Amino acid sequence: MALNASRNDLASGAIFIAFGTYFALEALRYDFGTPFRMGPGFMPVVLGGILIALGIVVAAKGMGKPDEEAAPPWPFRGIVLVLGTILFFAATIRGLGFIPVVLIAGFATALSSSRNTWLSALIISAGLCALCLLIFVVGLGMIVPLVGPWLRF
Amino acid sequence: MKTVVKMLAASLVAGSAFSVAAVMAQDYPTQPVTIVVPFSAGGPTDTVTRLVAAAMSEDLGQQVVVQNVGGAGGTLGAGQVAAAANDGYTLLLHHIGMSTAPALYASLPYDPMTDFAPIGLVTEVPMTMVARKDFEPATLEDLIAYVKENGENVTYANAGIGAASQLCGLLFQDALETKLTEVPYQGTGPAMTDLLGGQIDMMCDQTTNTTSQIQAGEIKAYAVTTPERIAVLPDVPTMAEGGVENFNLSIWHGLYAPAGTDPAIVERLTQALQAALADETVGNSFAELGTYPVPASEATPEALAEKLEGQTALWAEVIAAAGVSAQ
Amino acid sequence: MDLFASLGLGFSVALDPVNILYCFIGVLLGTLVGVLPGIGPTATIAMLLPITFSLNPETALIMLAGIYYGAQYGGSTTAILINLPGESSAAVTAIDGYQMARQGRAGPALAAAALGSFFAGSVATFLLAAFAPPLARAALNFGAPEYFSLIVLGLLVSIALAHGSIIKALGMIVLGLLLGMVGQDIYTGTPRFTFGLRELFGGLNFVAVAVGVFGIAEILRNLENEHEREVGVKAVKNLWLTRDDLRRIIMPVLRGTGLGSILGVLPGGGHILSAFASYSAEKRLSKNPGEFGKGAIEGVAGPESANNAAAQTSFIPLMTLGIPAHPVMALMIGAFILQGITPGPNVINEQPALFWGIIASMWIGNLLLVVLNLPLVGLWVKMLSIPYRVLFPAIVLFACIGTFSINQNVYDIYAIAFFGIVGYLLIRFGCEPAPLLLGFVLGPLLEEHLRRAMIISRGDPMIFIERPISATLLIMALAAVLVAVLPSIRRRRAEVFVEDD
Repeated sequence: MALNASRNDLASGAIFIAFGTYFALEALRYDFGTPFRMGPGFMPVVLGGILIALGIVVAAKGMGKPDEEAAPPWPFRGIVLVLGTILFFAATIRGLGFIPVVLIAGFATALSSSRNTWLSALIISAGLCALCLLIFVVGLGMIVPLVGPWLRF
Repeated sequence: MKTVVKMLAASLVAGSAFSVAAVMAQDYPTQPVTIVVPFSAGGPTDTVTRLVAAAMSEDLGQQVVVQNVGGAGGTLGAGQVAAAANDGYTLLLHHIGMSTAPALYASLPYDPMTDFAPIGLVTEVPMTMVARKDFEPATLEDLIAYVKENGENVTYANAGIGAASQLCGLLFQDALETKLTEVPYQGTGPAMTDLLGGQIDMMCDQTTNTTSQIQAGEIKAYAVTTPERIAVLPDVPTMAEGGVENFNLSIWHGLYAPAGTDPAIVERLTQALQAALADETVGNSFAELGTYPVPASEATPEALAEKLEGQTALWAEVIAAAGVSAQ
Repeated sequence: MDLFASLGLGFSVALDPVNILYCFIGVLLGTLVGVLPGIGPTATIAMLLPITFSLNPETALIMLAGIYYGAQYGGSTTAILINLPGESSAAVTAIDGYQMARQGRAGPALAAAALGSFFAGSVATFLLAAFAPPLARAALNFGAPEYFSLIVLGLLVSIALAHGSIIKALGMIVLGLLLGMVGQDIYTGTPRFTFGLRELFGGLNFVAVAVGVFGIAEILRNLENEHEREVGVKAVKNLWLTRDDLRRIIMPVLRGTGLGSILGVLPGGGHILSAFASYSAEKRLSKNPGEFGKGAIEGVAGPESANNAAAQTSFIPLMTLGIPAHPVMALMIGAFILQGITPGPNVINEQPALFWGIIASMWIGNLLLVVLNLPLVGLWVKMLSIPYRVLFPAIVLFACIGTFSINQNVYDIYAIAFFGIVGYLLIRFGCEPAPLLLGFVLGPLLEEHLRRAMIISRGDPMIFIERPISATLLIMALAAVLVAVLPSIRRRRAEVFVEDD
């Protein structure tokens, strides 16, 4: 490790600064108001500034103090499959309908664990689909097309 | 277990029934009807809808399900119904906000006038002008004089942009040609809390929320916003009695289908609505809410269309004059 | 009518066999639905509300009270077992509860939550019966300036939520405050940080944020190195509390009950602070504050008691004044109205059987909750023996469906994914999610009360110091900061070690 600083502190500082900057800059476009009638921009600008400052402090404190533990590996497969599935669910639940979406989403998430095989993922997704159908649609009366308009002929 | 399987099968059938193209209008309804409420469960509009839905399902012989699609001042739910299939199985129950949205939101994805087929008016809830119990003015005349004199020193609570309580305040300030200090709240519940605690001076809210407080003497009532006095609060004068002319405001609720719905289906729904409004339980429950079902002559597509048109024009003017916008 | 006669009347209503049956059904359904990931107490009640419509008023409201307690407890169960809080107080329970579960102590955590809740509920019910009207009057003295000061105090005290770096915890609180500001500004209607999407006008959904930063982030952490590390939670050692556990939770439960009872009466956001305040207090008073965040049973028992006490006393403003303290109470008002009762100052006089019946049924509901859930602890804990590779796809799916079913808003699900990755990154880099959630729920309140106070005072900030309650709260906030900062300055000279773990 050539870097003589805590990667964790630098990274979290950077995230704080990034969020603080976004909120502060965006809020500058809103009305700042007066002390009597504070505008919608007042709090976000102030808090965004504080977050940037805190981000700088966090990063600065990490200088000269490298992390003691080695960083764990990145779960790229998990990130792609789990987050991808959630996005897929949101994008298609109205169009494809409950059954196809839950089947596909269950299958893809299950595959993000290296301990699942294609077959076990298939079994898990089928089982989950039946369970979700029973709990949410039958039990709780959730209103959702079971097979969506995209699949109708 | 057997019943579960049956229910599952039934819901599968219900799902696939969507795909069977044209359902004959004379057979309508052959499956459950959904009424979308564009507000969260438990609110006054939701309450009204559930009461009406239960009574309508008796007349239609099919379950009428209430679905809450809250958000963005009711425009999300309304937008969803505008875009729904016009087969008569997705309806919208919305209040006065239907007519204010075009003036408040610059980019509405639907047009309240052309994207819906009105079914009928449901109820009109009167509003009351109220104040904390130790507020100085004794009568409506006193209040008007006091407000004209003190203007911005009087604090007026409202439930946020576009809320009925804000519209009422706008009309009031407009009529008196004065400006109050408006204090917005997240809904009328917290506003009522501060009114009870004497933290603010005045507000205007529907009878549903104010009647019990007025009767208990916890807050002062100065006027009702309808042309006539109302039965639950016989001692409270109308605005006109205090010399404020043309002050007519109520939270009216209407039932709509998406535009292009078969007129025969709309007629059937109007009939079911009228039957529901004539139902005794509905009438009694409405009375508890401080309101009443509209007469059958107003639970018609024509009456609702006329109401919507008139109100949309009125609020466009008032809201533009006040410079209010939800963007 | 004196208190005992009134309570007698109440119990005669609540002990009616039919009412007990429905109360039990309510508790059972509430627990079962509340346990579903992605469905918090508010959503559970909204979903189950319609089934009470056909019952007579007493029975319906008693059943509803049962649903409420069941949902609360169900939410805590999910927080402890799989780190998925359904509401802000459960986020506190998750901190130490989930760590206990990972160490194989899910049973004691659930039992401590149930017992603490029962005790707190009983005390708070008594307070409600005996002192409701005067307490409600006192709470009305809290206006915007007081609430602002109270929230500032709450935020500063809650730095104790972090067991790692204090600066990072502060950063997470501020980030949470900012995220809470997404949506339409109630004062001007300006949409903020919404990217022009009307779906975001109502703000980010709490459940979506919580599921993202807690649940999804935890799943991604577990997927980091599946082969070397045993994922999920360990096998269960014992189901019941040891004598040592019991001894340890007594004082936290008592203090939590006290704090929660007081805060719950305040309709402008007091109940939100109760669990956080109790956690901070326990950590400060503990001899081993280092244990907090790593599975301290006090960190489960105290906040759970505080939360349940507050849940109970938040009925006080509703039943005596007709004003809802939080979304659940607003739902209750809807239920009251549908039953033909308008909640308000008159209910206690006009419908004494109903008023006292509900109060008595609260106690019975709490009792049934314990009776039902202590045996269920074994069942819940068994769920943990499901292999993680089966469990986590279920969590992801349930969370998505549950969140979607509440508002049918797909942006809530996009938010889960966004906060999943952001939460994962922040946790990986040593920041903790609980302060973020606290900031998120308090952000809108902080801003709302500040701006309202300034409007009422016509722009004069002296209002915060001139009003005695507000001034007292601010002095306490200042003291809290001093107490927190002084020892760490002193310690820094002595210690060379970094506090990061």
